[in-house]
Amino acid sequence: MEVLLGITGKDFVIVAASKAAMRGASILKSNDDKTRPLNKHNLLAFSGEAGDTIQFTEYIQANIALYSMRNETDLGPSAVASFIRSELAKSLRSRKPYNVNLLLGGVDPISREPSLYWLDYLASSAKLPYAAHGYAQYYCLSILDKHHHPDISFDQGMRILRMCTDELQRRLPIDFKGMTVKVVKKDGIQEVEYDTSKQVLSA
Amino acid sequence: MASLMHYASLHSENPAYSFSEASTIPHSEASAGPRQHAFYPYTDNGGSTLGITGETFAILAGDTRSTSGYNINTRYEPKVFRIGDDDSSPIVLSVVGFAADGKALKERLDTIVKMYKYQHGKPMSVKACAQRLSTILYQKRFFPYYVHAILGGLDEEGKGALYSYDPVGSYEREQCRAAGAAASLIMPFLDNQVNFKNQYVPGSGEGLSLKEKPREPLPLDAVVGIVKDAFTSATERHIEVGDGLQMILITKDGIKEMFTPLKRD
Amino acid sequence: MDTLVAQYTQPPFSHEGYTQDEQEDYAESIPPLSLKFALPPVDRPAQFLRAMTDDHSNPDCPIKIAHGTTTLAFRFKGGIIVATDSRATAGNWIASQTVKKVIEINPMLLGTMAGGAADCQYWLAYLGIQCRLHELRHKRRISVAAASKILANLVYSYKGMGLSMGTMITGVTPQEGPALYYIDSDGTRLAGNLFCVGSGQTFAYGVLDALYKYDLEDDEALELGKRSILAAQHRDAYSGGYINLYHVKEDGWVKHGFMDSNPIFWETKLEKGEFSNVTSHL
Repeated sequence: MEVLLGITGKDFVIVAASKAAMRGASILKSNDDKTRPLNKHNLLAFSGEAGDTIQFTEYIQANIALYSMRNETDLGPSAVASFIRSELAKSLRSRKPYNVNLLLGGVDPISREPSLYWLDYLASSAKLPYAAHGYAQYYCLSILDKHHHPDISFDQGMRILRMCTDELQRRLPIDFKGMTVKVVKKDGIQEVEYDTSKQVLSA
Repeated sequence: MASLMHYASLHSENPAYSFSEASTIPHSEASAGPRQHAFYPYTDNGGSTLGITGETFAILAGDTRSTSGYNINTRYEPKVFRIGDDDSSPIVLSVVGFAADGKALKERLDTIVKMYKYQHGKPMSVKACAQRLSTILYQKRFFPYYVHAILGGLDEEGKGALYSYDPVGSYEREQCRAAGAAASLIMPFLDNQVNFKNQYVPGSGEGLSLKEKPREPLPLDAVVGIVKDAFTSATERHIEVGDGLQMILITKDGIKEMFTPLKRD
Repeated sequence: MDTLVAQYTQPPFSHEGYTQDEQEDYAESIPPLSLKFALPPVDRPAQFLRAMTDDHSNPDCPIKIAHGTTTLAFRFKGGIIVATDSRATAGNWIASQTVKKVIEINPMLLGTMAGGAADCQYWLAYLGIQCRLHELRHKRRISVAAASKILANLVYSYKGMGLSMGTMITGVTPQEGPALYYIDSDGTRLAGNLFCVGSGQTFAYGVLDALYKYDLEDDEALELGKRSILAAQHRDAYSGGYINLYHVKEDGWVKHGFMDSNPIFWETKLEKGEFSNVTSHL
């Protein structure tokens, strides 16, 4: 019941992840941040098996940082996506593969073009205008199909995100304790205030 | 079937003597209550059927091969049957799947259609027969007939009528339908050649402005050609199809049966 | 061997010809609709049925029953919108692209079809008969609440036998106004404003919930129903084909077409700029 959502627009990528950390029948933490910044313009959101997620993402984070230090330049989103995909592919063929699903949101430091990559534990990688992982796919992709356009503004993007989270609050049987929302723009990664305290009921 | 029913109540209805080794079964297992063998009353006899309607006719066809596994039981076992034997309202049924269920179903429908005529003094319409066949199949909802049935005839306006069924009786009137082993080979061909699916008027534009080729009822000789092509092609690529092609044509003049040989390998 | 012996200890010819039951069955002019079903001669008929027909638990099952769907219905100030797709699947095989999943129970009542196609067709026809009998007996139309309860009680009596249906019963009556009930083969019966049923339900809910309000105009409501089905047909592989659209009003239902979804999809994409994830370049 973890929720990951990503929406690109004219000059930004919104990445959102649910705040609940669940184990068995309990919610252990209700302000969990399931995202990691990789460099100035790349943000990774993750879901999947407990333990694997953090281990894998921090491994990626460290390697991307290492690259920046060695080369005095940051990798762009497509290079980061390729690197993550190759690591997932290696892992998949190892004795104990990582079970991690990811969304990578990034803005190219040179062309300033925003992009979003959808990656799963089987090392599929797809560049998409909007994406989701887990149950969110079933409820949100149809909303995004209808309301998303490639050149939307940040405000429009947030309005579409609100439609998606409202729908999840309305229809998912388990409370996911709201969303961490971050946006990647040309001048870096910012956290966005996001209130989901209002109850949403089905019609 | 009756014999299998007795299996559960071995002790009451059977003779006092027994050839079975029941007495040698260890006590612990025997006391677990009566045990039942796996009950698998079906087999697939292969083959394929198809039906197409035109403006004034309906045609039903089926190959005549009967198989079990990789064996060919016979090269001539018809799958298309006349129902009701009434020339003023000809009805034809094709069944494919488990031949014994198919035969039972055909016998059942045939009797009912004949009884209807005796009781009402008029032949059953194809529409009524189609609904009745659905309920017959549904009566065995919990012990289904392993068959895909297609029913053909002429409707009240004299137009060709074709109804197709799933094993438990959901049904729909259609222009064409293929069923059985090679349905997945024949049906896409029929969609394209009978309903002109994915065919467009040449030069009518690009993308959205492309016009679909309009559907028009096909003449009889064209339909017969399509049926033969469907079966010769299915014979080439499916091991359970071949030997002979039985076609029954229904027009206002009555029923005509045709037979064409297919490859026998 | 016992059974063989048992067979020979029976009087000869007793098993030949038709049984009493079968003879009555053949001679009866009206088909006995419902409540007389053949059962397999085994301990647990439901288990047998599942082994033979349940594609989900046994992908190699020999008898494939048509399944898979998106259906929706919602109440609004102008009545009720009912919309469905038209695809029937048996495993991965698309058995039909032209199924009528809106069942016209009578000129006032509509039912929708999700789950087993035959189950829905048969029992909604049965419901039609019961509704007509109610009219003849009581000289007034049956309420939607009563009609839906007949069906709910009926399927509940078969619980555990393997029926599979998720249906919505809709109608407008003077005493109830626009009424919508959801009934499934578990025996659930719920009144509500808005339901989507079938494998594509979540996709339809997504579009519908975001724009639904009770005060929709007729044309807005019809468009929303249509667009929700289109969304599901786009994302759910088990849904597709045509969009079947109905509007239920006080004086009965009105059909608003059985539309091919492919041109509607391209129109929506190219003219409104939606479905931006579908690109022509690789």
